[in-house]
Amino acid sequence: MQITGMSWGAKLLKYVGFPTAKILGPEATKEEIQAVIDEYGGVLVKPIFKGGIGKKGKAGLIGKATDVATAMREKERLYFAEHRVGNTVAKAEGVTFESFIACKHEVYFSLTDNTQFRAPTMTITHHGGMDIEELGRDQIAAVPFDPLTGFKGFIVNNALNKLNAPAEIISPLVQNLPKLWDLFHHYGMTTLELNPIRMMEDGKGRLTPIACDFKASFDGDDPNVERLGLSKDLFHQDLSPFEREVNQLRTYQGQSDVFVMNSLGTITAMTFGGGANALVTELLGDRATISSDFGGNPPYSKMLEISRITYRHWLKQTNVLFLIGGKANNTDIYETFRAMADALREFFSAHGPQPLFVVVGRGGPNLVRGLGYLRDTLDALGLPYRMFGYDSAMSEVVNFAQAVDDWMAKGGRQQIARKLGITSN
Amino acid sequence: MTQHLNYELNKGYNYMSAKGEIKFPYYVGIHSLMGIATREDRVCVLNILGGESRTVTPTSHVYSGGNVVCGTMPGRGGEVMKTAIGDIPVYHSVLEALEAGHRFNVAVVYVPPSGVRDSVIEAVRVNPELKKVVILTEKVSVSHARMIRQYCQQRGVDVFGANCLGVADAHQHVRIGGALGGNAPEESLVPGSIAIYSNSGNFTTTIATYLLTAGWGTTVSLSSGKDVYIHFAAPEFTYAFHNDYRTQAAVMYIEPGGYYEIDLSFNKPVVACVVGRWKAKLTRACGHAGAIAGSGDDAAAKERWFMEKLGVNDIYTPEKPVFSAAGAVVTNIAHIPMALTDVMAKQGIKPDFPPRGSLELKPWFGNNQDLNLPPELDLPIVRALAPYDQQIEVLARQLGTVFPRQNMKDCSGASRMDAQTQVSKIHGLSILDASTKTFEENLVLTLIREYPDATGTALANVILNAFVNQSGTIGLAAADAARAAGNSPNTVLSAAVAMVGPKAVQDARVAVRALVDLFGNTKLNSPNQRDFDFGPQIEQASNDPVLRAAFIPQNRDDRRVHGMLQAMEARGVGSLFVDFVKAFAERNGSHPTDMTILAAVACHLAWGPLLHKRLPLATLSNMPWHFVVFSTLVGSTVPQSRQPDPHTFSGVGVHELMNSWSFSETAFLALFGHRPSESELYSFSVLLGLIITNGPGTISAQGAKGAVSADGPEMQDRIQVNKGYIGFMTHTGYAHGGNGYEAIAFLLDCFRKSGLTDPADPNHGLNLDAIALEQAKAYGSYKKKAKAEGNLNYGKIPCVNHPIFKGKDINFDPREVFVADLFKRRGEYNIFHDFYHRLVQALFKVGVSKNIYCVNVDAVIAILLLKMLWKPFIDGQIDDATLESAAFTTFLFGRMMGTAAEIDDHANRGRNMDTRTAASQCSFAG
Repeated sequence: MQITGMSWGAKLLKYVGFPTAKILGPEATKEEIQAVIDEYGGVLVKPIFKGGIGKKGKAGLIGKATDVATAMREKERLYFAEHRVGNTVAKAEGVTFESFIACKHEVYFSLTDNTQFRAPTMTITHHGGMDIEELGRDQIAAVPFDPLTGFKGFIVNNALNKLNAPAEIISPLVQNLPKLWDLFHHYGMTTLELNPIRMMEDGKGRLTPIACDFKASFDGDDPNVERLGLSKDLFHQDLSPFEREVNQLRTYQGQSDVFVMNSLGTITAMTFGGGANALVTELLGDRATISSDFGGNPPYSKMLEISRITYRHWLKQTNVLFLIGGKANNTDIYETFRAMADALREFFSAHGPQPLFVVVGRGGPNLVRGLGYLRDTLDALGLPYRMFGYDSAMSEVVNFAQAVDDWMAKGGRQQIARKLGITSN
Repeated sequence: MTQHLNYELNKGYNYMSAKGEIKFPYYVGIHSLMGIATREDRVCVLNILGGESRTVTPTSHVYSGGNVVCGTMPGRGGEVMKTAIGDIPVYHSVLEALEAGHRFNVAVVYVPPSGVRDSVIEAVRVNPELKKVVILTEKVSVSHARMIRQYCQQRGVDVFGANCLGVADAHQHVRIGGALGGNAPEESLVPGSIAIYSNSGNFTTTIATYLLTAGWGTTVSLSSGKDVYIHFAAPEFTYAFHNDYRTQAAVMYIEPGGYYEIDLSFNKPVVACVVGRWKAKLTRACGHAGAIAGSGDDAAAKERWFMEKLGVNDIYTPEKPVFSAAGAVVTNIAHIPMALTDVMAKQGIKPDFPPRGSLELKPWFGNNQDLNLPPELDLPIVRALAPYDQQIEVLARQLGTVFPRQNMKDCSGASRMDAQTQVSKIHGLSILDASTKTFEENLVLTLIREYPDATGTALANVILNAFVNQSGTIGLAAADAARAAGNSPNTVLSAAVAMVGPKAVQDARVAVRALVDLFGNTKLNSPNQRDFDFGPQIEQASNDPVLRAAFIPQNRDDRRVHGMLQAMEARGVGSLFVDFVKAFAERNGSHPTDMTILAAVACHLAWGPLLHKRLPLATLSNMPWHFVVFSTLVGSTVPQSRQPDPHTFSGVGVHELMNSWSFSETAFLALFGHRPSESELYSFSVLLGLIITNGPGTISAQGAKGAVSADGPEMQDRIQVNKGYIGFMTHTGYAHGGNGYEAIAFLLDCFRKSGLTDPADPNHGLNLDAIALEQAKAYGSYKKKAKAEGNLNYGKIPCVNHPIFKGKDINFDPREVFVADLFKRRGEYNIFHDFYHRLVQALFKVGVSKNIYCVNVDAVIAILLLKMLWKPFIDGQIDDATLESAAFTTFLFGRMMGTAAEIDDHANRGRNMDTRTAASQCSFAG
C-alpha cells in the first residue's frame, strides 16, 4: 500500500499544514496553468501512477514547461505513460502540473521504522535532490526517537547541526518537520518520504520548506489509514479479480494472502504458513498459478469461501491440486481440509468433474481425521491422490507434485478425464 | 533504500530507566536461552477463553506442569478454563487477578489486534513483577507495535512477537505462548543441543521435526514472528544462544525484510536457512506481513550476510555441500539436518541421539483410481509413524464423521443466507435449486446432505406414507383438542408432535445401531447390492441376545408392516437392509416390525454418506425419529373426522398412499383434500422448497436450536428431537409463518368481486392494469392521508419492494425472477403473479413509488397458494379462516425441512446451552 507523487501527497500534507508546491490536477484549464507559470515561472508535468512508483525523473517521465503549449504537449505525452521499475509495470492515469520552486537548498527527509534501532527513525540530509544511496555516510543523519513522546524539533535541530547543515535552513525545518509525525503515526504510515524538500525564499530572505515530491507506505493492518479517506482503488491497481476476491476475506483470524504467479500455471498450491509459502512458491516457479498463505487456523467457513474462490478461478486449468503445509501448530487440519474437500465436492457438482491429481503434504492437530475426510471425498469423486505426512520432506513433496504435473501434461490428464467420462481440455 | 546509520547521532536515545544486558543499546533482559522459558515462569493469559487460546493454552499448561496461574477476559470473570490437571481461573482484568492474589511474571497475549497495545500496557503497568510478554496476535498495527516496544523498554520487559508462536524449552519441558509442537509437543520438542530461531511459526516446529531425522534434538525453539517490529530478534537470540551452555549450535530460519541479522557475529556453529528469493518478484507482501524486502534486505542480500559470517562461498545443497566449521547457508529446510550434521562433524560433535525416521517420501494415503501411473508416481502406501498409524486404523473402523463442538449460537453448519443475494442455502444447495425437487427428496436431503436416488426416494415415500395416518392416536386427539380451542396451526401440530417422544421410536433407533454394528465394517458399499451375502450377519445376530432383541422387539406394532413390504414390492424397490430384517425375522420364526423396517430404510438412505464420512452416526440414529415426526406433523393437520380409521387418510386408503403416492401428494391431500394435478403438484413443491430455510438467524430456526441447546447436545442421547420441532413451531406465529396470509388477503380484496374463475387462464378477460391502477391510487390516497395525520406506521402493500433489491429504476428480486422463469418455461400462467407485476408499475405511475419496486419472493408464495385455493374459495368450500390456516400450515411443512437440518446440525456440533446470551450483553429497558 503505497502512494507516490504530489497528486495525493499534497492533499495528505494539507492535513498537517506542511507547505507544498502548487499542484494542479489533469483537469486544470489552460488559464489555471498559465496562472501558475506566471506566478512560479514554470510547471513540472508529472504522470500520476497508482501505488509506489519511483524514479520517474530518471525514466524521462517528468516534463518541464514554461509555457502553456509545452505543458499541454507534455500532458499528452505523459497522460498514459508506462513505467517499469523492477518487475512492476505501471500505467499512468493522468498528470499533475506542479509549480517550479526556486530554491538554494534541497533537503531529503524520511520517517520510517528502523529494524536495527527498533524505533521510528528520522533520516535527513541537506544534500537533497539526488539518490540518497549515492551519499556518503557522514552526509546523512538517521536518528531514532521515542514514539511515546513523538518526533520533536530538537531531533531535527541536533541532526542538522551535526551534519553542519547551513544555518538558514535549520529553523524552518525545525518548525515544520515535526508536523509530519502526526501524519505518520496517527494515519497508519510505515514510511513517509519527502524528496526533495525545496527551501523556498520569500521576499525577506526567509526560507520555507516546500514538499516537491511525496512517497508514503501504509500499514495494511492499521485501521487509521481509513481516516484519510483514500480511495481503495488507489491501492488496488494491480490486483487480479482473484486476489481482490480473496482479499475481501481478510480478517485477523487466519491469513488469506494470495498472489497470482502465472495465470497459465498448472499447479494450484493451497499453502499453509509463511514458511511453506516461501518454499513451495520458490520450488514451483512458473508452474504455480498462485502463491498463497492460508495458515493461521482459519475457521471452516472462511476456508470454505477461500477454497470456493480458488477453485472457481483456477481449477479448470489445473493439473495438480496441491495442499501443502508444514507441521501445523494450531491450524486444525480437520477443519481446513474438510472445508477444502467440501468446496471441491461443490465445484464438481456445479461444474462437473475435472481431471485432477491431488497431492497433499501436511502435519498438525487432527491430521488423520483431516486427511481421512479428504480421502473419502476424493474417492467419491474418483480422483487419484497421494497424501504425505509431515515426516516426508516438504521439498520432496513439492518435487513429487511437479513430477505428477509432468505426467499430467504427457497424457495423464487425458487418462483421468477418460476415467471420469469427460473430455480433457 | 540502503540504510546509512550514524550512531553518534543516537546518543541520548537509549538512556532507559530499566537496566538490562549491557551489550545492547536498548533494554534486553534475557541473558541466556535458559531464561527464555523456565519452570519458574508463571503465566497470565490475556483473552484466555478466545478461540485460539482455548485450543492451545490447556495443552501448554499441561505440558509445562501447570504454569498458567490465571487468565483474563473482560465480561467472563468468574469462569474457568478446564485442563487435564485442573481449572485455570478467569478474571475480568489483570488488576482483578492480582487482587485475587495471583503472581506471575509472564503475560501471554491472545487479544484481537486492535486491543493488543492497551492490553500489554495494562499488564505491564499494574504488575511490577512482569518481565516477559509473548504476543501471539497477528496483524498488530505498526503504530501500536512502536508504542508497545517503547513502553516495555522503559519498564524493563522483554517482548516476544507479535505474530509469533511463542517460545519453548525442550529440556525444561516448558512452552509459553503459542502452540509450538501443536497438540502433541513431545513429538517435536525432544531435548538435544540445537536452538531454533525462526521467522516462521510453523517452520519452528517443522524444523525441530526435521532435525530428529538426523538425530538432533533442541534446547530452545523461538518463533520470532515476522512483523515489521520483531521485539526479540536475531541479535538478542544470538546473544542468549552464546550464553546457553546446553546449546551447541543454532538453526536460524530467516525471511526477507529488515536488517535484524546484518550485524550478527557467531561464536558457535549456525546453519542459516534463508528463503524468499522469489519474493523479489513480488510487488507487495504475501505471506508474512514484514517479509517484503527493499533493495538491501532481500533474500539475496541476507544469503550474502550469512555466507560472509559463516565463511562459505555458496549455498549448501546435498549435491554440493558447501560448509565450514562455523556453519552453512541453505535455502531449503529439508537440507538443514544434513548441513547441520556436516558442520557439527567438522567440529567433532556427534548427533544427540540416533536418527528418528527419515525425510523420504512416505505416502500415508493414496489411490490410483485404476490409472496406469509411472513407477515414480506409483508410490506404495507406507504405514504412518506412531501414533498416526493407530489413528489411521481407528479411522478405518470409524463409521461416519464427528464434527468438532463449538458455540452454535446464531451459527449453523446446515444453512446460511447470502446477505447479498438473499438466497439461502441448505447443505450447500440453493433453495432455488431445491425448489425444483420434491418434498420427499428435500426431506431426505435435509438429513443426509444429498438427494436420494430413485430407489431411496421410493422407499422414503413408503415410510412417510406408512406413518401419516394418526387415527386414534393420543397425538391426534391432542391436536384436535387444540384445534377446537382456537389455536393456530403451529400450536395444534405441536400438541401432536409432543407425543412422538423417544419411546415412540426407541425400537427403530436400536435397530439402526444394530444394523450399523453388523454391516459397518463389511464390504457392503451400497444397500442396492442386494446380492450381498448377509449369512454371517444373520448368524452373528441370531447368537447375540442384544442384537436379536433389536430385530425382534418386544413391543410390537405390526399394523403397518405388511402394507410397507407390499408397497415396496408394488413400487418395485427394495433394499439389502430390508431384505436382512425380513430374513432375520423369518430365520427366528417371526416377522419384521414397522420399526425395524423404518430402521432399515433409514440405513438405506444414509449408508453412502455415512461410509464417506459426510454424516455423523448420530444423524442416522435419529433419522427414524425425524421421519415419524414428518409424518405426524403432516398427518395431524387432518382431523380425526377425516381419518376415521387407521386405513383411511383424507378419503384415500393408506395402502394406496404407500403403494403409489408421493409424500408431496399426501401433504397436498392433507391440506387441500384432493390429489394434486401435475401442475398443482409442481407448484406445491416449488412453494415448499422456497420456504425450507432463511438461515440460522430466523426465529423458527432459533426456536429449534434453542430447544436442542437446552437439552445439552454434548449428551446426544438426551436430545429430544420432537421437542426441537416443537421449539421451531412455538417460534412461528401470526407474524412469522402466518404472515404469508397478508398477501393472500390483499389479493382477495383485489379479486373477490372480479368474477375471476380460473387463475391459470391467460384469457381471463379482466383488465389487470385497471385493477392495479385502482389499487395503486387507493393506496396512494390512504398513504397521503395517513402521513397528513402524522401516522408514519401506515400499512404497506405486502410483498412489494425489498431492503436489498431496491434503488434502481426497475427492481427485481432474483428469487422471484427465478420462480417466474420456472413457470414461464412450463407455459403456466398465474393471474396473481401477472397482477403483482402490473401493480408495481401502477404504484410508480401514480407516484406512490419513486422507482418500480420489485415483486418480492413472499409474493410468490402467496400467489402460488392462492392459485391452488381460488376455486374452492369462490365455490364457497373454504372460507377466509381456512385460507389463512392453509397458508400458515404450508409454511410449517416447508420450514419443517430446514428445521430437521438445524436440529440435527446443532445436536452434532453444539455445546450445552450455547444459545444463551451473556448477561453482560443483555440490557434492561425499564
